[in-house]
Amino acid sequence: MSFPKKPGSKALDVLQNLPRISLANLRPEPGAKKTAPRRGRGQHGGNRSGRGHKGQRQRGNRPRLGFEGGQTPFYLAIPKYGFNEGHSRRPQYQPLSLKRLQYLIDLGRVDTTQPIDLTQLVNARGVTIQPLKRDYGVQLVDEGEDIFAAKIHIEVQRASEGAIAAIERNGGVITTSFYDPISLGIVIKPVPFFLRGQPIPKRMLPGQDMVPYYTDAGNRGYLADCEKIQQARLALAQKYGYILPDISKDELYHMLSMRKDVRQIFFGLAPGWVVNMSEKKILKPTDEKLLKYYSS
Amino acid sequence: MLRVSLLLRSGGAARRFSSSFSGASVLPPNLLLPSNLVDPARLKRPPPPADCPLPLLRKCDAAVPSHLSPVQTWVETLQRPDGEPLGLAQLHPDVFAVRPRLDILHDVERWQRNFKRISHASTKVRSEVRGGGKKPWNQKGSGRARHGSIRSPIWRGGGVSHGPRGPTSYYYMLPLKVRVQGLKVALSSKMAQDFLHIVDSLNIPTPDPQYLLDLVRHRHWGDSVLIVHVGDEFPENLLQATENLKTVNVIPAIGLNVHSMLKHEVVVLTLDTVKFLEDKLLWHDQRYTPLYPFKLPYADFP
Repeated sequence: MSFPKKPGSKALDVLQNLPRISLANLRPEPGAKKTAPRRGRGQHGGNRSGRGHKGQRQRGNRPRLGFEGGQTPFYLAIPKYGFNEGHSRRPQYQPLSLKRLQYLIDLGRVDTTQPIDLTQLVNARGVTIQPLKRDYGVQLVDEGEDIFAAKIHIEVQRASEGAIAAIERNGGVITTSFYDPISLGIVIKPVPFFLRGQPIPKRMLPGQDMVPYYTDAGNRGYLADCEKIQQARLALAQKYGYILPDISKDELYHMLSMRKDVRQIFFGLAPGWVVNMSEKKILKPTDEKLLKYYSS
Repeated sequence: MLRVSLLLRSGGAARRFSSSFSGASVLPPNLLLPSNLVDPARLKRPPPPADCPLPLLRKCDAAVPSHLSPVQTWVETLQRPDGEPLGLAQLHPDVFAVRPRLDILHDVERWQRNFKRISHASTKVRSEVRGGGKKPWNQKGSGRARHGSIRSPIWRGGGVSHGPRGPTSYYYMLPLKVRVQGLKVALSSKMAQDFLHIVDSLNIPTPDPQYLLDLVRHRHWGDSVLIVHVGDEFPENLLQATENLKTVNVIPAIGLNVHSMLKHEVVVLTLDTVKFLEDKLLWHDQRYTPLYPFKLPYADFP
């Protein structure tokens, strides 16, 4: 057929000659509603009702799961070891592959002319973060590093070395920063937070075990020295074998060098401000103590 | 499975009811034919031909996909009792010509009926029935069957073992997109079976209900009409006319639902209603999943 067929048109043509669809004509697709089998009814569900013949099985008196007739059961014989100890308190990072990031950029869901933040990634529905399930953010994974070709300024919570190399190879900037769970909840869903009418809190610093990660220039941590980061960029370029493009001569240098303050959650909004969405106003604190607290 | 009866096809339903003693086929005066019957008197309007001289009053606002073409329909008027169309209108195929998914219609209509249902049927269990704490007679010696309480389920006046327990709710929600698709399927099936009429506006000359009934009968629309209006102000004449009528009803466009559309034979939309419905129903095709309820403001989509 040379001309395209309209989907559903045949069925609509057939409908024209059929009786009117009314409340009396509706029925589900044949085979869609299967009645659940009931025990104790009919030839196959009845008689012993699937319980077997006599004994503990039929009478419902079997011992508890794991009981081995008196022999020390398997789950007690094996000694304990903390494989999963504290598993529910370990921070988790939702993986974001470079392949998915490239897909989002290609479809235009993520804007590369602005810094890519966790808020932007969630607005683009690229990742789903659940701060209540011990998620501490997003981690960049190097699957798709050979396909990746976009110059972006991205801020994630963890990044593998290959991912850092892939982004810097294309002339972009990557930073790893820490968001405590409350700040994370605000970053993911800013609109419900603004509607609460509370002042923007200051972002907390990482805990003891995470400080070494975020002060390391090799991870491009937000607490690391700028010169060490520059040296780390050169070292990574040498290691992976690419020429490090010079960012300072870039037209988007201003955007690429935008950095959030250590205590800042949103670009352009400082801690302590209250955003009023209905009247489109921002209220800033004037009290000395509040200013001192929020600027510490 | 829709059963197609050959009787209806031939249109000879009227001929079967001829009287025995007269040659002419006379219908008895008290005959009530079901309205579901394909009525030969209800002439099927042919769709507007390509070279129709009447003006095109409405084009689709949203972009129509290139492999589909808009649905062309007549635009009529309620001002005059005769059925001359005023012009043509183009309707979006993704709302008015979707696949007639009857299973979705069934699911949505069933949901509409049941999600509000709270059944208050409640019976008492043997422990809740008044009395029955004492053993009626000794276990042994009396010669009668052994019993522990006079309110056990085998006794008269005893509790019910497996009866309805208290108010039970049958609440469940179908996904939003399924409900939206149900509306689109209902509109498409009404359009395909020629039960959908587009009208330029709902102003009628008189508040007399008989005017509407005569109009409906003259144009062979059907037994029941559902008029859908958009906006806050309803035309007063129409409200007065339909107030005491059971078969002709007016609803706001936000109240459009599958059950009402199937209950009434004919659905009448205005051009504004069509625009409103197309905007609302097409938005769901290309939206993101909600991060928070849609009532809260979003920056990237309306």
